[in-house]
Amino acid sequence: MDLQTLILKLSAYWASKGCLIEQPWDVEVGAGTMHPATFLRVLGPEPWRAAYVQPSRRPADGRYGANPFRLVKHQQYQVVLKPAPMDVQDLYVESLVALGIDPKEHDLRFEEDNWESPTLGAWGVGWQVLLDGMEITQFTYFQQAGGIDLAPITAEITYGLERLTMFLAKQRSVYDIEWAPGVTYGEVRKQDEYEVSKYGFEVADTAFWQTLFERFEAEAVRCLDAELVLPAYDLALKCSHAFNILDARGAVSATDRVSVIRRVRELAVRCAKAYVASREAQGFPLLRKAAAQPSEDGAGSG
Amino acid sequence: MGQEVAEFLFEILAEEIPAGVLPSAREELLARVSAAFAEARLGGRLAVHSTSRRLALVGEELVDQPDAESEITGPPASAGYDADGKPTKAAIGFAKAQGVAVEDLRVVSLPKGTYVVARKVTPGRPAAEVIGEILPRLVEKMTFPRMMRWGDGTPEWIRPVHSVLALFDGLVIPMTLFGVESGRTTFGHRTLAPARIVTMSVLDWFQKLRAAHVEPDLAVRRSRFEEQARALAAEVGGEPADDAALLDTWAHLVESPGVVRGSFDPAFLELPEEILVTSMREHQKMLPVRANGALAAHFLAVCDQVGDPQGLIARGNEWVTAARFSDARFFWDDDGKTKLEDRLPRLAKLQFQETLGDTLKKTDRIQDLAGKLAARLGLSHLDGMLARAARLVKADLVTDMVREFPDLQGVVGGLYARREGEPEEVWQALYDQYRPASADDGVPRGDVGGVIALADRLDTLTGLFGLGLAPTGSKDPYALRRAALGVVRILLDKKWRLDLPAACAAAATLHVGLPRANDEVLPELSAFFLERLRFLLEKKGHAFDTVAAVLTTDCSDLADAAERVEAVEVLRKEQDFAPLATAFKRMQNILEEAPGENAEPDPAKMTDDAEKALALDYLQARGMLDDLIARRRYRDALSIMASLGPALDRFFTEVLVMAEDPEVKANRMALLRSMRDQFARVARFSEIRA
Repeated sequence: MDLQTLILKLSAYWASKGCLIEQPWDVEVGAGTMHPATFLRVLGPEPWRAAYVQPSRRPADGRYGANPFRLVKHQQYQVVLKPAPMDVQDLYVESLVALGIDPKEHDLRFEEDNWESPTLGAWGVGWQVLLDGMEITQFTYFQQAGGIDLAPITAEITYGLERLTMFLAKQRSVYDIEWAPGVTYGEVRKQDEYEVSKYGFEVADTAFWQTLFERFEAEAVRCLDAELVLPAYDLALKCSHAFNILDARGAVSATDRVSVIRRVRELAVRCAKAYVASREAQGFPLLRKAAAQPSEDGAGSG
Repeated sequence: MGQEVAEFLFEILAEEIPAGVLPSAREELLARVSAAFAEARLGGRLAVHSTSRRLALVGEELVDQPDAESEITGPPASAGYDADGKPTKAAIGFAKAQGVAVEDLRVVSLPKGTYVVARKVTPGRPAAEVIGEILPRLVEKMTFPRMMRWGDGTPEWIRPVHSVLALFDGLVIPMTLFGVESGRTTFGHRTLAPARIVTMSVLDWFQKLRAAHVEPDLAVRRSRFEEQARALAAEVGGEPADDAALLDTWAHLVESPGVVRGSFDPAFLELPEEILVTSMREHQKMLPVRANGALAAHFLAVCDQVGDPQGLIARGNEWVTAARFSDARFFWDDDGKTKLEDRLPRLAKLQFQETLGDTLKKTDRIQDLAGKLAARLGLSHLDGMLARAARLVKADLVTDMVREFPDLQGVVGGLYARREGEPEEVWQALYDQYRPASADDGVPRGDVGGVIALADRLDTLTGLFGLGLAPTGSKDPYALRRAALGVVRILLDKKWRLDLPAACAAAATLHVGLPRANDEVLPELSAFFLERLRFLLEKKGHAFDTVAAVLTTDCSDLADAAERVEAVEVLRKEQDFAPLATAFKRMQNILEEAPGENAEPDPAKMTDDAEKALALDYLQARGMLDDLIARRRYRDALSIMASLGPALDRFFTEVLVMAEDPEVKANRMALLRSMRDQFARVARFSEIRA
């Protein structure tokens, strides 16, 4: 199976389970969790179901396009279900069936793997899902985000798209998988990987990124003071990305790291609080709607 | 209530419970419920079962709660009945308050007098009713290292609970757990037999679950794993690596105990075994296969189903293994492009500790200290090797391999140094630097390795103690207890005579900017080491009072102290130490009462026979003791000390130490002080219990 077919099948499946198909966020993020469709929507009482692809950047994972498994820029398929229905694991297993995997013929296991993001003030518990020994999905019940205890609880399902495609196609290198029939991932992305790796490790101007970090941070604070949640959150993401570049460049000492992470977290925490306040001021619109029209797919009963 | 015995079955079906918490969850559930059942007088025996998705209790020979009788003491008989023996208002009131008839009151003679007593019978309740109250309370209160909330955010346990099965004598025990009503249904294996199962009894539960690809008995799963692993390895002429802990983990990871064998390209065997084994065990929870003493190009992987007819599971695991090994080979080759030596500048960016500076600075201090330790240990001929090893010792921290396999720090440095052609003493010193890693692990192999490992730990310990970061209570974030225990183990195993406080002082002077003064820190550190030594010696089975007798003397040389403990232990078994212990205590008491200067006892000034006899025996023995102690022949020294027992005993019986003549008194004190000090070079016998 090629990458784009995988994406299309996942979207078709999760749309059929009542998910809104979101689009990738247009700010650099390290993971699909940082997309507002996850980080902000898990907050507060409103129900929410969404699925989307999120290109994710991790400068420290750069290997100049020379390592068959590691990428600076990889793609995640992210599903959030709030509240997490009691049959969420069954829904997930069904999604594998939709991809043509017969779980009776394979070994499918959920092994403990908890998740924590100090920069987002967020954590959850869950599993890595192993298919015949291969980690294909991260499955998390969000417990806290932006320092706020969550209720109801959201289930987050994150498929690693490149790895899953490699596994299904039994390819040994990410660059050999097909993006679309007849076009390999390497043909589309290999040079990018070389360039972003070289930039992250050798070229990035640390003084420039240091300055950016501080200015993004100051701008985020201005937005928060003006009660503009989403612009503030975008700028907090920019800070996080600047930190990742500086970190890959080896420009963050262990002590600096703690304080820089704390600064980003403080922004995330303020954004989270402001978001909940803003939704509340709007009367939690999705909550009212859910009360008016009970869900039809029945996935919430279990 | 019938007294017939009945069986009991309780099963919680949840989402996958972490393998790491299952052992303690099983224990906690069994212990708490057994205790609660015993308190409720339900009799019987309980056993616990579990899988990756279930926790269950099975009970047999349980009974309904028997009636409980109790006696309540009321007013004195004289106040309860009048002269005619009729109940008074007091007795009537008491009977009413206790809910019994006045006629049923009895008069009983108690130690404090004769009293009116009401005998009450509390009727027992049906076991099912009692259990229905007990279980939800206990289960909902179970604690786990990391709890989770689900649904609306209210229920809190280890993972969401899906069904609760509770039967007593085949009938459902009504209860609600986390909002889930109990019943007689459960479900089979997640993918192989997910359908609902209705159970009538314990036997039925076992049989139907087994038919539904679930083996509820942990021990059965464990032994199936062992059998399959042996059989699959034997098919390729090998045997599974010996790893009981991994098999235990496997047993907690599944409901259906399956093993698949896979192979990998033998070309990967060129990679060091340590790396392949760590990759298989730590990353994939796979059991390596060994044949003819070497690693074979096969592995055994756990899976949650028995059988893999199409080989899909084996192929998937092979693909993952190849991917992991390729990754490792990439790091092995890529790291090889930069020599350890050339990585040193990057250590300057790797912080060891805020005040103590970066890792390169630590490396410099290790090098400096290693030379000083070698001089003290008479190992200065190793200076060249030590300097080389110290220089490279932390270079592997900035390799991709260690970033990928943090557990292999040290080992990776050793492997890389060997590849770069460093001498054996040097690469082994790198390889072994974190040893002993556990109680079962050995100390670094060579002298170079031992000195480097000591220097590294003494640097860490003096630095962090100097910063006031010594461990407190259960908090030991820098693992300083383990570091100190490592120092003690190395000194004892290598029988290295080292003045440890002096070595610590040397280490401390290499730090700059420490807030705490050395004369404050070093005694704390000495006490810290002695605590570890005490722990180790007692763990070896030495009596606590022997250990105390030695550790209350000067123990700046730990290996010497350990030798003295062993000598005292041996002698204690052969000779009666009680007189020596008593005599030492008396010496100690008298010397404390009247402190004085050290002086040489003068036999010419002695007046009593017993005094002269003791002085004669002791002064003769003293020279021999000096010689024996200097040569560390502690057993011989101890038997001479013990032989002085009778003379000492006679002395204390016949002689008044506190003589009126101050000169006579001072001379007697001098004799005792000299003996006490001489004995205390081996042990403070007053600590020894009879």
